[in-house]
Amino acid sequence: MNLADLFTVAAVCAGAFFFLAGSVGLLRFPDALTRLHALTKADNLGLGLVVLGLLPRVDGVLGGLKLVVIWLLALLASAAASQLIARAVKRSEPGA
Amino acid sequence: MTRDGNEGPTIGAALTRFLGFAALWGVLIRSGQPGDLAVGALTAAAATWASLRLLPPATGQVRFAVLAARSPRFLWQSILAGIDVARRALAPRMPLAAGFVAYRTGLPRGQARNTFATITSVLPGTVPVADDDTGMVYHCLDTGQPVTAQLAADERAYGKALVPGRAHG
Repeated sequence: MNLADLFTVAAVCAGAFFFLAGSVGLLRFPDALTRLHALTKADNLGLGLVVLGLLPRVDGVLGGLKLVVIWLLALLASAAASQLIARAVKRSEPGA
Repeated sequence: MTRDGNEGPTIGAALTRFLGFAALWGVLIRSGQPGDLAVGALTAAAATWASLRLLPPATGQVRFAVLAARSPRFLWQSILAGIDVARRALAPRMPLAAGFVAYRTGLPRGQARNTFATITSVLPGTVPVADDDTGMVYHCLDTGQPVTAQLAADERAYGKALVPGRAHG
């Protein structure tokens, strides 16, 4: 196992840890709004670390760029979706 | 890029967006086959049409070069946000002091404020839940943190990338 393999294993495992932490937050946090924090923030970092770990294994710059773009699109989608859900929750439960 | 007017979408804005969407398609699909290129051109044209309808250039501009220059700050804050929420989720006593914090912003309603809201929704401990003419309301995991000071620092850091325009329904 060379250095690049070790880096991949470490970064992907770290990414999986944050996905796990986000899912634990989803189960343990008390309401919809706090659960949104858990899902968006922990999963964004988890996916970012998985992408980072896979970067040394891609064929060329464009392959790496594709992975980074996928992460950015997931980031944008989760940021937009979390705001929409948060605004809907706030409207339906003003005191939430 | 910073042109502001009410004359509707300009040819320049449409071309810039089309090229941006086409480049995005090219990076994701990575194919030179004529059939793929045709589908890509159609997709980029449809995306350009939708973006001009939903986000007309007059509603504001985002300076992507300035935003890209802020990416180290953004990446570092994303890491802090992930660690913060993971720590709270996994700690046996689950330290949460959740609540709402009002934040007065200098950014007018419209694309500039929406982009700021999108950026700050990824930052540690904050999710925007509402906004009105004077400011925004954030849901925070820990209201004991200096949330408004942090948001003001973020507004200074990212504000230069956000050019306000007229409000758009």
